[in-house]
Formats: sequence, C-alpha cells, structure tokens
Amino acid sequence: MTKREPYHTSLERGKVRQMRQKVGALLLAAFVMLALGVPQTFGGASQFTILLSMKGPGSGNPFWAAVERGARETAKSLGVNLVVLAPPAETDVQAQIAQIEDQIAKRVSALVVAPTDVSALNATFDKARARKIPVLFVDTDGTWPHKMTFIGTDNRAGGALGGKFLCDRLQGKGEAAIITGVMTTQSIRARVEGARGAMKACGLQVVAELPANSDRALGQQVMEDILTRRPNVKAVFAANDLMALGAAEAMKARGRMGQVLIVGFDAIPEAAQAVLKGDLAASVAQSPYNMGKFGVENALKVLRGQTIAKRIDTGTILVTKANAQQYAK
Amino acid sequence: MAPLVEMRAIVKSFGPVAALRGVDFAVSAGEVVGLVGDNGAGKSTLMKVLTGVYHSDEGEVWFEGRRVRFSSPLESRQAGIEMVYQDLALAENLTPVANIFLGRELTRSVAGVRLLDGGEMRRRARQHLEALKIALPSMTLPVERLSGGQRQSVAIARATAFRAKLVIMDEPAASLAVMEAAKVLALITRLREAGVAVVLISHRLQDVFDVSSRIVVLNRGLMVGDLPRDEATMEDVVGRIVGRA
Amino acid sequence: MARAAMTERPPGRAAPPLRDLLGRFGLSLVVLLMVAALTTLQPQFFFSRENLTNIARQISSNALLALGEFVVIVTAGIDLSVGSVMGLAMIVLALAVKAGWLSGLAMLAALAVGTGVGLLNGLALTRLHLPHPFIATLAMLNIARGATYLLSGGVPVSGLTPAIRFFGAGDIALLPGTRLETAFPISFLIVLLLYTAVAVFMMKTITGRHIYAIGGSPKAAQYAGINVNRNLVLVYALSGTMAGVAGLLLAGRVNSAYPTAGSGAELDAIAAVIIGGASFFGGRGSAGGVLLGAIIMGLLRNGLNLMNVSVFWQQVFLGFIILLAVYIDVLRRRSMRQED
Repeated sequence: MTKREPYHTSLERGKVRQMRQKVGALLLAAFVMLALGVPQTFGGASQFTILLSMKGPGSGNPFWAAVERGARETAKSLGVNLVVLAPPAETDVQAQIAQIEDQIAKRVSALVVAPTDVSALNATFDKARARKIPVLFVDTDGTWPHKMTFIGTDNRAGGALGGKFLCDRLQGKGEAAIITGVMTTQSIRARVEGARGAMKACGLQVVAELPANSDRALGQQVMEDILTRRPNVKAVFAANDLMALGAAEAMKARGRMGQVLIVGFDAIPEAAQAVLKGDLAASVAQSPYNMGKFGVENALKVLRGQTIAKRIDTGTILVTKANAQQYAK
Repeated sequence: MAPLVEMRAIVKSFGPVAALRGVDFAVSAGEVVGLVGDNGAGKSTLMKVLTGVYHSDEGEVWFEGRRVRFSSPLESRQAGIEMVYQDLALAENLTPVANIFLGRELTRSVAGVRLLDGGEMRRRARQHLEALKIALPSMTLPVERLSGGQRQSVAIARATAFRAKLVIMDEPAASLAVMEAAKVLALITRLREAGVAVVLISHRLQDVFDVSSRIVVLNRGLMVGDLPRDEATMEDVVGRIVGRA
Repeated sequence: MARAAMTERPPGRAAPPLRDLLGRFGLSLVVLLMVAALTTLQPQFFFSRENLTNIARQISSNALLALGEFVVIVTAGIDLSVGSVMGLAMIVLALAVKAGWLSGLAMLAALAVGTGVGLLNGLALTRLHLPHPFIATLAMLNIARGATYLLSGGVPVSGLTPAIRFFGAGDIALLPGTRLETAFPISFLIVLLLYTAVAVFMMKTITGRHIYAIGGSPKAAQYAGINVNRNLVLVYALSGTMAGVAGLLLAGRVNSAYPTAGSGAELDAIAAVIIGGASFFGGRGSAGGVLLGAIIMGLLRNGLNLMNVSVFWQQVFLGFIILLAVYIDVLRRRSMRQED
C-alpha cells in the first residue's frame, strides 16, 4: 500500500507531526516518571539515585515505615532521588537479591541495605562494587568487607539497657526469663546477649530462655509455658515488642496483669500504649527514623567523595511510662 | 478338541460368603462363550480366578493342556489371556496408540539409550486396527476425546494386539448406543473368525444370543446351564438365571 | 536446546487446528508480549546483557524446583518439601565445604541429600500408605527445615569454593572464537540441559510414558502391569534431586548457605508448573511449558522491580497470572469438549 495523506495540507501534516512528537515526548516522560517512581527533583544531588533496600515492607511494620519516612524526608530535603524496595517477608533473601540486582542493572548510584541475611547477599554486593556502587548497611550489619559503614542500633547496648532496667526494678533479686526471636538474626542475638549479661551481672537468675520466632502468638504461647513451668519468674525480657505484647496477653488471660515486669524492644506504638497502660514495664526504642535519615545522608556523602565513619550508632532509649507518650501515636 | 481353558470344580469364598461353589467352565479355541447370570451369581469372580486377580480355595485351572496358577493378571496376560474391564481401564490422557501399547511399549536404541519407537507403534497399531476394521477419527487424539464406542474399540484392540488366545469382555456394550453396541458385537465375531476365543459377560441376553456359540449360566455360585446356542431359548436361559439353584 | 524443550508436546495432543496452536503457543506468546512490553517501558535497562543474565540466574533455582515439581504433578501428586529440601542441601553443601571436603564430594553430598529426602517422601507415600502426597511432603517440609536449622545452628554458613561458585555465578563462553561469542550463565545452561533431559525422559522413554499413564489413570496403569509404586518413588526422588541441584546453584550464586533459604519456594515452583500448563489432576503438561511458566514469573518480577513496583503488587499480579493461565486452559478444554 502506498502512503498517501490526501486530507492534510502540508501545514496540517507539520502540526500532526508536532503533535505526535509532543505525545511521544509526554509518553516518554510518563514512562521515565514511572521508571523512577519518584517525582523529579533538580539540584546538585539529583544526578544521584539511592536505593534503600529494607528487610520488610514499610506498610504493615511501623519500624520499616519509620526507616522509609526518615529516608524519604531526608532525600527530599537533600534533593536526591530515592528508590525504596523490600522483599515481601524478612526471610525472603532471594527476593531481596533479585531486587538489588535489578536495580544495579539500572545503575543506581548507591545502595543503602538492611540485609535479610548477613552473608547471602555478599555476591550481589560484589557486583555493585564492580560497578563502583557503594554499599552502606543499615539496621543489620553484614559480613561484606567492603561496606562503607554500618548505621544502626547498638543492639547489645539496647539489650543491656532493658536488662539493667529490670535489675533496678527488682533490686537484683529473683528469677527472670528471656523470650528470644529468630536467632538467625544477628540483631536479635545481640539484644539477647546484652540483656542476659546485664541481668546476670546484677544478680538476677535467668531461669528460662525460650524462642518465639519474633511472633506475637508464639510469644503468648511461650509466656504461658513460662508461667506454668517457672511461676516465680518476676521479669521477662522479650527481644521484640510483638513477643512482649504476646507475653502481656498471656498475663491478661491468667488475670495476673502487671505482676511480671515485661520489657520489649523497638517501642512500636502499640507497645508504647501498653507501657502507658502498665501492661508492659518498658520497651527499648531504636531510632529507625535515624537509620533512614543517616543512610541517605551518608550515602550522599560517599557519592560526593567525603569519608564517613565505619560505624554510626543511631542510639537506643528506654521507653517507660515517663516518656511513652511520644511513641504511642 | 481339547479346550483352551478348563476350570474344574472351582470353589471361592470371601469369609462366610461362598461366591463359587464348585464351578466347571471350559472354553475352546475360536469359541465365543456367553457367560450370564444375575448380579452376584459369580461371573466376575470366576473370571478373576481365571486371570489371577483372585486365587481359588479349591479346584484347578488348565490352560492349553497345562495346569496353571496365575498369581497376577500380568502372568495370565503373558500366557495370552486378556480382559477388557467394564470401566475399560484406559489412560484417558494418552492416545489410542499409547494405550494399546501401555506396559508393552516398543523401543529403539538411540545412541545407547532406549527410547520409545513411536513410529513403529503407530504403524503396528494402525495395522491391527485395520485388521479389526476399527476406524478411529485420529490416532493422536487423547482417548478422552473419543466416543464411548470408540473407546471400547481401543480397549478391545489393546486386549487383542499381542496374540491373545482368550479375551474376556465384561459388559462391553452396557453403556453404548445401539449403533455402537452393534459395532462391538461385530468386532467379537471378527475376533472369533481370527481364531481368538471370547468370553462375553453381559446382561443383554439378546447380544449374547447374537454372537455366542455357547451360553453358560451361573446362579448363586453354581453352574446351572451349559447350552449350545442353537439349543437354547431365551425363556430357558432366563428361567435358569432367576431360578432357585 | 530451549526450542527443543518447548516444542515437544505432551502425549495425546491432537494434530493442531488453530485454537490448539493458540493453546500450545499461548505461553510463548505471553513471554513475547512481556518482553515487548518491558523493552518498550524500560528500553535502556531491560535488554541489557546484564539484566538478561540477571533474570536467567534469578530464575534458575525456581525453574529447577518447578521441573521436579512438574514430574510429581504429572502423577497427580504434589511435593511441598522442595523448598526445604533445597535449603537442607545448601546447608549440607556448605558444612561439607567447611569440613574440608573436596568441592566435588560436597556437591555430591548435597545432591545425595536431595535424592535421599525425595526417596523418603516416595517411600512414606507408598509404604506407609499415607492417604495423599500432601501429607508425606508436608511432614518433610517441616522435617527438612528443622534439620536445616539444627545443622546450621540457625546461622548462615558462608564462603564456598570457587568450583561451587562457578556453577551458581559463573559464565561460559558460547561460540568461542566467533563474532557471536557470548558469556552465558552456567546456572541457566544447567537448567536448559536438565529441562531437555527431563523432556526426553518424559516424552520418549517407557518410564516417562508410564508416569503420564499413572497421572491419567492409576488403575489403568496398574492393570497394564505398570509398577505404580516404584514409579511414584522414582518421581519423588527425582523431585528431591532437582531440589538438590537448585540448592547447589543458589548456594553458588550467593556464596553462602543460609537457613531460611527456600522458605515458601515450593509455592513459586507450583505456580510455575501451573502457569506452564500442567494440571493438578495429573497426566498433563510438558517440561517446555513449565520452563515458560518459570520464565514468565521471572520476567514479571524483573519488570516490576525495574519499575520500582512494590512486592505486594508483584504478588497481586502473580496471583492474577495464575488465575488467567488456568482460566485460558479451562476455556480451551471447554471448546474442545463442545466440538465433540
């Protein structure tokens, strides 16, 4: 078929072509927007795109939501592009690897990663390194030797903070128990070690140390077992708030609310409310917001050729009735 | 002529239930025997004793002049006794060819590996179906897409593809339309002409009268009639089926 | 090689009228459409060699789990343990390396674990007369995962040998010395080889034919003198072996064995098999289709990752693809029936 457009004058054809170009450009722009996923910002930092790869999705977990918020607000104020991704579950190592690899293929400028496994992503980070993409760890430290830094909570110190609090409340006397989480996770292990050390140091007897997989229902179940087997336990340190809340639920079910001091970790809003009500004695707050914030700030520093510290602490705070209000929202 | 199969004084009980109470039964080569009787008369049990599914409590089975004890259907099949089951027992997802050769596939060696010889199986299956005058719409359609009569034909073709000497058919026409049932009966006649003995178990007495040369009646585990087709009448056979043995 | 695996057809497929062609090549069509869409949406990234090799490596372990799962599903069975078995094989591999075993021996040990666990699945099903393979393999899912945690102490075991890394992360030069020389991921080459081998096994050998027959009608198979139980044991052993190979490749890729490896992977494997056109009722499907199923899942994931779409949406899309794939199959079968 020959190409004929008898109904257009040449002027109209020109217009049509222009319009087509415009539509094409618009479409292209739309794709680029879609591809980058964030509004374009301009300025010195806008040439960089930082990937924040979290262990779990922000929706559904206040901790990661705070990390994400810290990163997004900081990225906005610094004018740097940010992509936030996470695997569907904190155990889904393969999904996180795939996400990071796909973003390396897209040539992100820097990786800020909370690794789902301390070693399994090392090969992926090697690929980033080969393309001169710096890697920063947040929340969970990895074993990869070429990391720029680790930005996170000193979990051992946080655990010790919680243990010390129980020591003070019980004046170093009596039986205590620890509910541990997913012990494959290094941060959980550090918390448990910190708490155990502090409690033993002041004379508390740690009579039970039981795993509840960082799960609320399992925390309740384990607490029921502790109440049955060790009725004299006066203090419980749980390696995260979900297990602590589960434990409090077990107390409630037995009508013994508040008779055992329960300390959680993370100070998620529900735990803070429970602290206000007296169901929990305390929780140890990390600063996930700082993780996101420091992660983006330091990634940008690295990209601009500045040197950063090998270990950046985001700090822990003991949350008790006195200060729980600000965490309870 | 010595019978192809001879079963003597077969007794088989299932717990307190006496299914067969001393049955004699014989089939000669190239003969079509109609095996009739009411439900529970012992027809299927008798045939399952013959094929080795069941083992009789008493009695003897002779095949081609030798005393035999088949311990499984596989053994009786290897001896040349085939059974067409009432539900056909076809693999619905496979082709007619695959079904005909199921468990007896032909292979050829390719680079030291034994692979299925599809071409040879198709060729032989086609030959065999032609000999039986069975027409199928396609050799490559799965069996589930064939009609009831066509599936019955495949089952019969499978039973006769490997030089069977005796084919037992359990209600082959029960679920078929009139036209298709007629085709199956014609097939039985052709088998007989080819020298294959057939035992036809059927409730449709008219079919039995149409194709059998002899009619054996079972009633409550006893043989109550062994009549040449030409001397049998419908009334007589029905009387023996329902009578008190 | 991939082509050979894709065009072989399950036994008993009709000579093709148009809609059968559509049915058979529908999956390839979906793959082509996805590739076209991704090339349009992500022109500068999708078709890069780096991204394509990424996809190939990423889908390798799922493709192998799906391959074993496929053979099981053809018998109308199911193997829920493949993800756990993969994790167990990885830990055994890494521990053997740590204990100073030669790489070859360590890999053999990992494969043996896979095969052994698969054998146990098959024997539990056939010897203990458990009512459904769901039960035997659900039990094994837990046993193998628990054993993985016990063996590893819950911590990852890292640092494998170059030989093992070679299989999971290495490239091989195809057509060396010519202008078309390309670096091809070895893991995906292994996937293609095993798919071809299983395709030949299923379509061209007596045992493969019998496996299809068992899926179509266990009774017909039994009457035909096929040893159904022996074939079932073989099928589960094969599935376990594939899980072992998948673990080998994954461990090589990440240079580590971590105890949560493969958690939930059985569902992805089942999804690939179902998208690939196999039927839960058994007796249907082809290895080539399953490979396409695994590729479709990989493309979906990669494409949405490139577009920075949240994993939650990825899960939603995957769910719809499963529905769509099976529904298309239902439609096709219905139109076949109506014609009769």
